Amino acid sequence: MAATKSKTRDVGQRGARGQMLSRVDKWQSYRLHHQATLKNSTLKILREPLQSLLTILVIAIALTLPAALYLSVENIRQLSGGVDASAQISVFVKKGARESALKSLTAKLEGLSGVASVTYISAQDALDEFEALSGFGSALQYLDENPLPDSFLVQPLLIGDATRLVTEIRELKLVDDVQLDLEWLQRLDGLLDMGRKLVLALGAALGLGVILVVGNTIRLAIQSRRDEITVVKMVGGTDAYVRRPFLYSGLLFGIFGALIAAFFLTGLSFWLAGPVNNLALLYQSQFSISGLGFSGFLVLLLIGGGVGLIGAWLAVGQHLRNIQPR
Amino acid sequence: MIRFDNLCKRYESGYEALRGVSFEMDAGEMAFLTGHSGAGKSTLLKLLMLIERPTSGNLLINGKNINRLPHSKIPFYRRQVGVVFQNHQLLFDRSVFENVALPLQVAGYSQGDIGRRVRAALDTVGLLDREKHNPITLSGGEQQRVGIARAVVHKPKILLADEPTGNLDPQLSAEIMALFKRFQDVGVTVLVASHDINLINRMDMRIMRLNQGQMEQDGVSYGGY
Repeated sequence: MAATKSKTRDVGQRGARGQMLSRVDKWQSYRLHHQATLKNSTLKILREPLQSLLTILVIAIALTLPAALYLSVENIRQLSGGVDASAQISVFVKKGARESALKSLTAKLEGLSGVASVTYISAQDALDEFEALSGFGSALQYLDENPLPDSFLVQPLLIGDATRLVTEIRELKLVDDVQLDLEWLQRLDGLLDMGRKLVLALGAALGLGVILVVGNTIRLAIQSRRDEITVVKMVGGTDAYVRRPFLYSGLLFGIFGALIAAFFLTGLSFWLAGPVNNLALLYQSQFSISGLGFSGFLVLLLIGGGVGLIGAWLAVGQHLRNIQPR
Repeated sequence: MIRFDNLCKRYESGYEALRGVSFEMDAGEMAFLTGHSGAGKSTLLKLLMLIERPTSGNLLINGKNINRLPHSKIPFYRRQVGVVFQNHQLLFDRSVFENVALPLQVAGYSQGDIGRRVRAALDTVGLLDREKHNPITLSGGEQQRVGIARAVVHKPKILLADEPTGNLDPQLSAEIMALFKRFQDVGVTVLVASHDINLINRMDMRIMRLNQGQMEQDGVSYGGY
């Protein structure tokens, strides 16, 4: 009996030593396992190129579509932003206004809310400009007096405010006429708003699609590794340990998909750059197409990785629990 | 080390696999669990592996009641237990070494520790020269020994075996049993479920016999059929 007891103690100590891993060791092995899992998951994707490529391509396309639409909307918005600058309200003043009255009108215009700047153009200045630009200089010599009125150019802060400003300015004394040729711009603004909403809706729908695709791929992976999962659980693998490689796979699928999507988008903007520049030249515009950019690239990676991770998480949560040792 | 206290297990189908089983095993003791198929041997082992939970009664391991062990603690409990299966459950997508290393990887041992311990375990079962082979290329007896190496590589306090010699000829079976005896000699509590009567009788060990979910006999000498 005594012999048994001493044996017991011996076993206990040995067992304890087996369990006695210091915190540092544990952290180190935890980190190592993360590294090894990342490496293995990458290798696994590379080792099954066809299956992985299909999933990654689906993700890439699903990311490319909303991203391309987003870039189009952003580019058009920049273009219309350029037009914004020339989107001015012309305010024509009644003839014979005195200088003091003009001054007080200037102050009133500047005082309106939503006004960025007010520029005064005297009748004489307008005439000079017309002479210089129109080429009718000599014909103007025959006029007895300057037919042009004094005018102001009012620059609204926002295109959306333009209509309201026009009504307000029309109410002012001494104002003869107000002109705004911006309806098409406002329509464009509305379209862009719709475009942005469409990007969100499309992005959400395709994001959901990516989650499902990754989820399905991970589900298949879990099923094909059923035996391994059973054994790992039997020898004391925690749920987190079992989950980890699948989560990494999902993350990698998403990131690879995002990388390929970035590649597609870059190709697309190169492809479109030529025609767009030609078109811009025709309109005497400095506009040139702007691509994803570095921060856009990072956001794309983040979205891709995040969506992949979510898909994997859902699949893992649903299917791993069902696999238990028997 | 192991204490069953009036344990009952009724499956959801209504089948009563164990009906009031009580027994105790000291640390470093070895025993055989026998009985007809369907007598409850597998269920008893599953309770010890926490694959199944008892319907009533208490199950104490090392003085601790593990009936209500939360799900999240189960992996840590299983790290103190080694299990050998009849179909050995080896993974054929990796080498013998990697199969045996699994319990250590799971518990977060360092690479160097894993190498040392895996080789020691393979040496014990006499398969040190096969570490790089795929287990599918090994014979049935060798595969079972790999399974045993995996069960003991993390030096568990308890070693459970479910029909470990089920598919082996008498010669190999005797070798496997001798191997279990060696683990008992170094202080491991060993419980082997088997219906290989001849083999068990020759081992001269404690034998527990289950019949229809009840402990029919518990002693060193075996009454036989």
